[in-house]
Amino acid sequence: MASAPSLDFLSTSFSLSRTDDARLTPLQQGTSSAIALPMVDQPANFLRDAFAGASEKDRLHFAHGTTTLAFVFQGGIIAAVDSRASMGQYVGSGTVKKIIEINPYLLGTMAGGAADCSFWERDLGRRCRLYQLRNKQRISVAAASKLLANTVYGYKGMGLSMGTMIMGWDVSGPHLHYVDSEGTRLKGHKFSVGSGSTYAYGVLDAGYSWDMGVEEAITLARRSIYHATHRDAASGGVINVYHVKEGGWVKISSDDMMIIHEQVKAEKKLVDDATAAALGTTAEAGEGAAAGSPPDPTSAQDTGDASAASRGNVPPPASAT
Amino acid sequence: MSILEYNGGCVVAMAGKNCVAIASDKRLGVQLSTIAMDCNRVFPMTDSLYLGLTGLHTDVTTLHNLFNFKLNLYAMREGRTIKPTTFASLVSSTLYEKRFGPYFAEPVIAGLQADGTPFLCAMDLLGAMAVADDFVVSGTCAESLFGTCETFFRKDMNPDELFETLGQSLMAALDRDCISGWGVDVHIITKEGVTTKSLKARMD
Repeated sequence: MASAPSLDFLSTSFSLSRTDDARLTPLQQGTSSAIALPMVDQPANFLRDAFAGASEKDRLHFAHGTTTLAFVFQGGIIAAVDSRASMGQYVGSGTVKKIIEINPYLLGTMAGGAADCSFWERDLGRRCRLYQLRNKQRISVAAASKLLANTVYGYKGMGLSMGTMIMGWDVSGPHLHYVDSEGTRLKGHKFSVGSGSTYAYGVLDAGYSWDMGVEEAITLARRSIYHATHRDAASGGVINVYHVKEGGWVKISSDDMMIIHEQVKAEKKLVDDATAAALGTTAEAGEGAAAGSPPDPTSAQDTGDASAASRGNVPPPASAT
Repeated sequence: MSILEYNGGCVVAMAGKNCVAIASDKRLGVQLSTIAMDCNRVFPMTDSLYLGLTGLHTDVTTLHNLFNFKLNLYAMREGRTIKPTTFASLVSSTLYEKRFGPYFAEPVIAGLQADGTPFLCAMDLLGAMAVADDFVVSGTCAESLFGTCETFFRKDMNPDELFETLGQSLMAALDRDCISGWGVDVHIITKEGVTTKSLKARMD
């Protein structure tokens, strides 16, 4: 029998692909065919329980150790990272790309589980592209970071390990968000993430100002990562620096930390020599005499002018002409 | 992280023709944080006998002081310096005395015997001795060191070749271990005396 054409198709959501997230409920989005869950009662506990009885050596070791940082200043956003992947105490790789190029105007950093970060940030890139196609305009940084935060929140408690910074320059200016696998999403001007973040913060906080020039900002970012790689065992390798500008991001440099080590050593030597000369003593005696008023290391590094530092900070010798 | 990995560090010793060399890294850390880059874990016990100790640094220091004390008494009683094989037995017994509450240190002994032939041995923290005629390793990157030493070692090297081989084996292994590194010291022991050289290593 002929029946009126069914108009049901107007009310059903049309699926463009099997993983079209718009069709699924928020809970289902996390459990779409992209990621399979263990077929047990409590999938959240499966991974933890599987390794519960194993010795430390056999347990699943995430590539965790890292130092990443990013900050906003008058010239845009600078992001700097190290390149070591450590699995427990073993150096898995010294050449990991921890800055993920989501698209030409969005960057994400990697800290925590390497697989988790690279997979979900690539997934974020996919969803940003879908947004752009559907809405004929680029996604904002705030929206992009929120997409990522909501995605990983769906897996909260299941063992994802990710601490990332999403940054970019959209119509409302440069933005920086910190997103992690706990579901935290914070907007801010300055973040450092990873096992070496405490060391990086020390150097970064000491030298940061909003009005810094671009070169100064790049040097500060590089130095902060260098000091973290030097002291933190789980950070090391190559220091990658990116700059996010109005037209998009640009890769600034990729330097082995040993190169920066030699630079810092040479600068310290210049400062020490200048101090000794200013005090009119030998280097060894000069170190003891100068202990009370050491030259300011930040200004010495920024200006690279050791004589200016010594003039500014060291009292003139008693027998000054 | 286990107790033997708390401070980090490693020691390796290699034998050549009538010479022996022992090398270590310089890092002292507290888990992932690096505290010092000039810590010494290889100690001269006699003119031709070196003891390297890895593991918990407080036990490394305690054992170093203890063995210095024991060797002084030995020299007073015997009127001569101790032989490498005898010293190895002394170290082994001292460690086993603490079988049920051990020192968390794993020693490496490198020395020249009276006739000039090299003596190498390594022990675990309970004193189990393993004598070798090529190389011995200990520390957090011991597995990596076994790999590099096995690859680079040749028999009957002269002191210069031995220094080069040992240095390169250690540096290659250090770059794959997070909690060792930050400098390398190599001691080359020959009948003429001991030469100590420092190598420039990665500081990350």
